[in-house]
Parts: sequence; structure tokens; C-alpha cells
Amino acid sequence: MTDAEVAECLARGREGDEKAILELFHYMYPHISKLVHANLPGKESPEDLVQKVCIKVMSHLDQFSGKVPFLHWVSRIAVNTCLNQIRHEKRRPEIRLADLSEEEAGVVEHLATMPGELDASEKMAASELVEKLLNGLKPADRLLMKLMYLDGRHIQEIASLTGWSQTLIKVRAFRARAHLRKQYVLLMKENP
Amino acid sequence: MNPIDDQLNRLFHAARKTDAAEAPVPYGLETRALAAWRESRQTSGLWDMAILARGLVVAIVIMGASMWPALHKTATTDPLSEYLQASDTTLASYETP
Repeated sequence: MTDAEVAECLARGREGDEKAILELFHYMYPHISKLVHANLPGKESPEDLVQKVCIKVMSHLDQFSGKVPFLHWVSRIAVNTCLNQIRHEKRRPEIRLADLSEEEAGVVEHLATMPGELDASEKMAASELVEKLLNGLKPADRLLMKLMYLDGRHIQEIASLTGWSQTLIKVRAFRARAHLRKQYVLLMKENP
Repeated sequence: MNPIDDQLNRLFHAARKTDAAEAPVPYGLETRALAAWRESRQTSGLWDMAILARGLVVAIVIMGASMWPALHKTATTDPLSEYLQASDTTLASYETP
């Protein structure tokens, strides 16, 4: 759907055409779902958060000015909702080896002793380990790490999603990365 | 590259989620979303009406407050009314035996 088509749907919606609004909803839903699943906070169910974002977007649809592309506007609402949710969750100061499952400890050992990529069977444990490492970060840093390393987004893209400046993103990324490195070194030291 | 950085990069790479198949819209979400949109439209309409009504009340109050001193002054210091009042008093005193 192009921006012109979105504008047309919105105009029809303002005249009371619900079919046009539903078209918009079905256009943005996969985008919201993908963003929330990529950045979802640990404890919250992704489906609940997707619904929360959808309702939020729909109830603010009349406020969309058309100054930015529609999906950028939707993405920013989704990312900010995720960020607020992360802020509500309690963060743990640091992670210990005892907090890891056997599989997660195995991943740490594998990374330290063998070069190359992890096996497909270890991906789930790797994902959980990353989640635990990220839990020790500040909410904004955590979101940034996810967007950058798990979602593979560029700095410019993150700037448009979050509204942060590129300098701020670089500073935050550097700080978060240093924190992760420190955490990981602590784990390595504990690993016999 | 620093070995720790290398390990972290490999860890992140392994943890990357592959694009999940496009999930269908959950049951009832479409209706809820549409209801939220309808509600926001109604609320914004009511909000406009509320602002209009409040504006009207405030305008009346300001108009009344600004006219009050002028009316009050006219009632107490109007020369004609003072003159007529004085005449009435004079006539009344002459008619009294």
C-alpha cells in the first residue's frame, strides 16, 4: 500500500467508511506483529502486546498527520509501547552462572572453546541466554541491542523508529555493548 | 577482533530469530480495533462539543462581567434620573400641608 493509498483510506475513514479502516488495519497488522515479536519484553506475551499496540494505533488514527510515512508512524508507536513495557519490568543487576540452564552453560562453553557458528540445536538456548544478558541492561539499551543485533537494523532505521538521534544511538550502543562484555566476562570467569 | 566480542557476535547471530510465518489476525482483534477507532471518533466529537459549550459559558461570563460596572454606574449616576428624583422630592414637599 502506498502513502497515497493510505491517505485515501484515511480520508474514506473520516467519512465513516469502516471498510477503508479495516484495509488499513490489515495492512499494518503484520508490521506491528513483526516489530513486537522482535522487541518484546521478556515476561509479556507478544500477542497481548500486539493487541495493545493495534488498539493504540486505531484509537489515534485520526491524529496521523501524514507528515511521515504511515508505517513509520505505526512503528514508532509499537517501539515506544515495547519500551514502556520493558520499563515496567524489573531488571536484574547481573547474571551468574548458576542462573543459567545446562543448555545455556553449554552454549557459553561452546563459544569459548570452539570457533564457528553454533549448532541449530543450540539456537534456543542461545536465544534464552541473550535474553538473560539483555535483562541486565537499561530498558532503552536493551531495546537498542535487540533492534541492532537481533533484528539487524541500521542506525538510521533505529533513529526513525525511536526518534533518538544517531549520536545518542551510538553512545547507547557503545555503553550497552560494554556492559554486555563485562557481564559475559564474569560468566566466563565462573565457567570452569 | 577481541575474543569476547567475537563470542558475543556469534551468540547474537545464533539468537537471531528467523522471520516467523505471517500469523493470522487473532480472533476478535479486528472487531476490537474497529471499536477503538469508532470510540476515538465519538470521543473527539464529544470533546469538540464540550469545548464549544465551555467556550460559550466563559464568553457569557466575560460579557456579563464587563457590562456590569457600566450598567451599575448608569443606574446610580444617571443625571436624568437624579434630576427626576430631586423633582419628585420637591413636589412631594410642596404638596404636603
